[in-house]
Amino acid sequence: MEFTRRQFMTLMGGSAATAVVFQACGVPPDEIKVQSSIQMPEDLVTGTDNWYATLDRLNPTSNGIVVRVMEGRAKKIEGNVDYPINLGKHNVVAEAGLQSLYDPDRISAPLVRVGDRGSGQWEEISWTDALSRLAQRIQGLQSTSGMAMVTDPVGSHLGMVVERFLTKIGARHLVFEPLDRVTLSAAMETAFNHNNQLYSQGRFVMPDFDIENAEYLLSFGADFLSTWVSPVRFARSYGRFRDSDNNRGVFVHADSRFSVTGANSDKWLYVNPGREGLLAQSIAQVIISEGLGDPESVRSLTADGSIDMSHLDPELVSSEIGVEAGKIRQIARDFASHRPSLAIGGGSAGAHTNGLSNLTAIYLLNYLVGSVGKKGGVILNPESPFSDVMPASSGASLDEWSNFVDEIGRREVEILLVRGADPIYGLPEGVGFKDAIERLPLIVSFSGRMDDTASMADLILPEHNYLEDWGTDVPNPGPGYQMVGFQQPVVRPFFEHRGIHHGTRNFADVLMVLSQVLGADLDLSADNFLEILRDGARKIYERGRGVAGDKSVGDFTDFPSFWNAVLQNGSWRDEAARFDSTAPIPPEFPSSIQPPSFGGIDTVAQDVFNLIPFASASLSDGSGAHLPWLQATPDPITTATWRTWVEINIRKAENLGIKEGDVVKVTNGRGNFVEALAYPHPGISPDVVSIPIGQGHSSGGRYSQGRGSNVLSILDTKRTEGTSALAWAATRVKIEKTGRWMRLPRFENTAPELAVDEGGHIIPLTSGD
Amino acid sequence: MVTTQEKKTEEKWGMVIDVDKCIGCQACVVACQSENNIPVNEEEHFNQRRPIQWIRVERYWEGEFPDVKARFIPIMCQHCDNAPCEPVCPVFATYHNSQGLNVQVYNRCIGTRFCANNCPYHVRFFNFWEPSWPESLKNQLNPDVTVRSRGIMEKCTFCIQRIRRTERESGRDGNELKDGDRALNTACVNACPTDTLVFGDFNNPESRVSKLRKKEMDDHHGRGYKMLDELGTSPNVIYLKKVDKEAKESSTH
Ligand code: SF4
Repeated sequence: MEFTRRQFMTLMGGSAATAVVFQACGVPPDEIKVQSSIQMPEDLVTGTDNWYATLDRLNPTSNGIVVRVMEGRAKKIEGNVDYPINLGKHNVVAEAGLQSLYDPDRISAPLVRVGDRGSGQWEEISWTDALSRLAQRIQGLQSTSGMAMVTDPVGSHLGMVVERFLTKIGARHLVFEPLDRVTLSAAMETAFNHNNQLYSQGRFVMPDFDIENAEYLLSFGADFLSTWVSPVRFARSYGRFRDSDNNRGVFVHADSRFSVTGANSDKWLYVNPGREGLLAQSIAQVIISEGLGDPESVRSLTADGSIDMSHLDPELVSSEIGVEAGKIRQIARDFASHRPSLAIGGGSAGAHTNGLSNLTAIYLLNYLVGSVGKKGGVILNPESPFSDVMPASSGASLDEWSNFVDEIGRREVEILLVRGADPIYGLPEGVGFKDAIERLPLIVSFSGRMDDTASMADLILPEHNYLEDWGTDVPNPGPGYQMVGFQQPVVRPFFEHRGIHHGTRNFADVLMVLSQVLGADLDLSADNFLEILRDGARKIYERGRGVAGDKSVGDFTDFPSFWNAVLQNGSWRDEAARFDSTAPIPPEFPSSIQPPSFGGIDTVAQDVFNLIPFASASLSDGSGAHLPWLQATPDPITTATWRTWVEINIRKAENLGIKEGDVVKVTNGRGNFVEALAYPHPGISPDVVSIPIGQGHSSGGRYSQGRGSNVLSILDTKRTEGTSALAWAATRVKIEKTGRWMRLPRFENTAPELAVDEGGHIIPLTSGD
Repeated sequence: MVTTQEKKTEEKWGMVIDVDKCIGCQACVVACQSENNIPVNEEEHFNQRRPIQWIRVERYWEGEFPDVKARFIPIMCQHCDNAPCEPVCPVFATYHNSQGLNVQVYNRCIGTRFCANNCPYHVRFFNFWEPSWPESLKNQLNPDVTVRSRGIMEKCTFCIQRIRRTERESGRDGNELKDGDRALNTACVNACPTDTLVFGDFNNPESRVSKLRKKEMDDHHGRGYKMLDELGTSPNVIYLKKVDKEAKESSTH
């Protein structure tokens, strides 16, 4: 299609003119249209603050937040008490969103590469220019399959726009999550949606966990108090679980790493890496053989007793698991008798070659104690309230990435679009992605900051920060009932002063303009994203179910007042839209699980360790590394900040002559290595070393660039059987001292020790009786 | 009708901290940094042992692999009734106000650091550097809180700016202060995902902190204690003991 500059301007003008509408908690619900900086916005009263509800997009599950805005600037983030996921709570990651908005290294206009790729030489161009360059390249494609888009897990209305765009253009979509949920979601689906009992159509939504009302909580591998799936929701629920007025629950955590979650359990059990599933099987064997299980579930799980589980007797498998038989028996009995009890699994337990079976066995334990669909147990989530708008999907498997790399190698891919994901940082070197993309003719990034992938791009079309942007979220996992979260701009775009030809844009709007230019009809209800969201809200309104804030949908006199209410409260929810109480019928219990296999080095020798990486409590998968508050947040276990450390057992370190701050070289079987500062501590197994994910960016601005090292790069490309996801806990590494030393910046001992006299205690204990 | 003259006694602000619930997540720490314009603690600041954290989370190890535990405790200014930091200040930069708060008057402070020396909880911080932010990050600074310059002491204020703003606004609207009001709560309390931290008025018998104090301090089975109680500082922060089923009564750290 031919298009003229004038046409382009018209299309662009349409989206830029979209008015920004603010809705604050507590201000009258009439709309405030902000027009120009000369006409002051009505909510701008010097010295008066407003709190606007929106969504936190930095956590793995979006939380509802309220942002304090004063004189047009965002000042503080807190949890939104009306939001069903986090109910007023938040965490360090959500808090640091302010710094992502005011990041001094944000990209303020479209950029085109002028020097060599990756050389960091850019020139600013206008949006019109940038989009027409991209459109021309797309039109010049030999075949439409020559284009691919990599995104973070996008769902809800944005996901719908992305899918339609890609389908119309004929391009493929790869979803990138560094520590993906592919295996987790597959295991949950096997356990709870066997034979598609729950979801005839639509996307499987992960269940919620009613930790608060459980009496006995048994978790395997999942660091749910810190980084796993929906950490704010789980931490809140855990706080209530610990309430002494609520019959304080017992919590046992089995893991091959001593995580934040492990540290807070009543009993932390070390399990040999990859043997979490065997432990779950053995627990099941005890419950079934001692007749402690829910009879009906036992019948289904054992196919009426025809599955022989005798080889899973604790005495027979205890040495393989690494937990004494007596303890396994005790846990099984306690788990069965202290109901409601709940079993959760994830994290490294699912990141082995046998991870899918591990997690499936773990989740099936919930049937034995009748906890599926019950208070204090696993709460199944209903489908999305929309037929065409889905929660975010989980990431692409490692096989898909490898295939993609091969296609690039065969020059079948010409254009790569990247949004919200940093695959160059996040994929192991063994996948070969970084080398492959050098052969790509065109890389386009939509990133608002120079992450490692954006720094290799040819064209950057920077999108708004989420605090300046519209959006919705159909959470996965949901809170047990249907809900939709609403995200609204809390401030005007920070780079608005650069004029409409520069500055940042909404990603969906950019895709829509692009498709108009390309003559592709996306068959959407409107031509800008805000209108699409409004139409989505209108659908909810017209159905008349549920509430916005404390008012039933049916009680709103018209749609505009409903729309105002969802923006003010940050969500619509329908607590009646749940699964009814009949629990699904479980599949048969896996009677055998393959032992895990490990990459590279075969044995565990004196200087060979199982490497268990983990998402940093503050930097997450690395996406928070450019935020100085997060860099400076002490890791809960080691109190380390600003650097990459390697956790090693304190006795083992003594044997190897390793002291804190020693720079050690951590090498995998292929010879890839990273360097990290040693932090010996008493909580970790002598067979394991652990390194946080998050640092080691080659780009990303002043706070992250060239700082620490990236453990993801040295992971072996072992796959989880059944899902082909990256088995990120299946790497063995060698540890060597380099002879260099560097002070590990840590919080511990920055304040002098408290002067406790004999018998005085900083943390006294009580048995609670 | 209640007139201003009949208004009950002034508030006495304090906190109850349930150590049993603290997961060590640091949400309180970062919330405090954001609310109170605390300069970013850079790598060098940690290495020189001079990071500023008005609230900090200490981690204590117990035992060794495989029978190992880590325990967390948040520590901030205890707003002691007998504050050892107050009498040593030569210029009265730190004093006790009528609401039980230990306050720091920044523009009186001359930086002798006697107060920090005398504080047994180590919750007073000296500004060794002029605080600095890149230009764009300054947009996020809280206009209700002074940025402290080099050479003076600072510490937890129980977010006095929130108390004052809420008092002002409720006075204007003719409302009473509400216990648990999120606008009145300190930033750390609102952030804490597990409800470890509870803030309120000990002079109001109906407040959550008063009820917790009554239950946990008066009762024989209560879990309440005051940190370094033997020093006689008389803190306004009450801690609740960690529960450990296997523990002999009071046996750690
Ligand atoms: S926010 Fe709460 S749970 Fe987290 S460290 Fe602070 S006091 Fe502990």
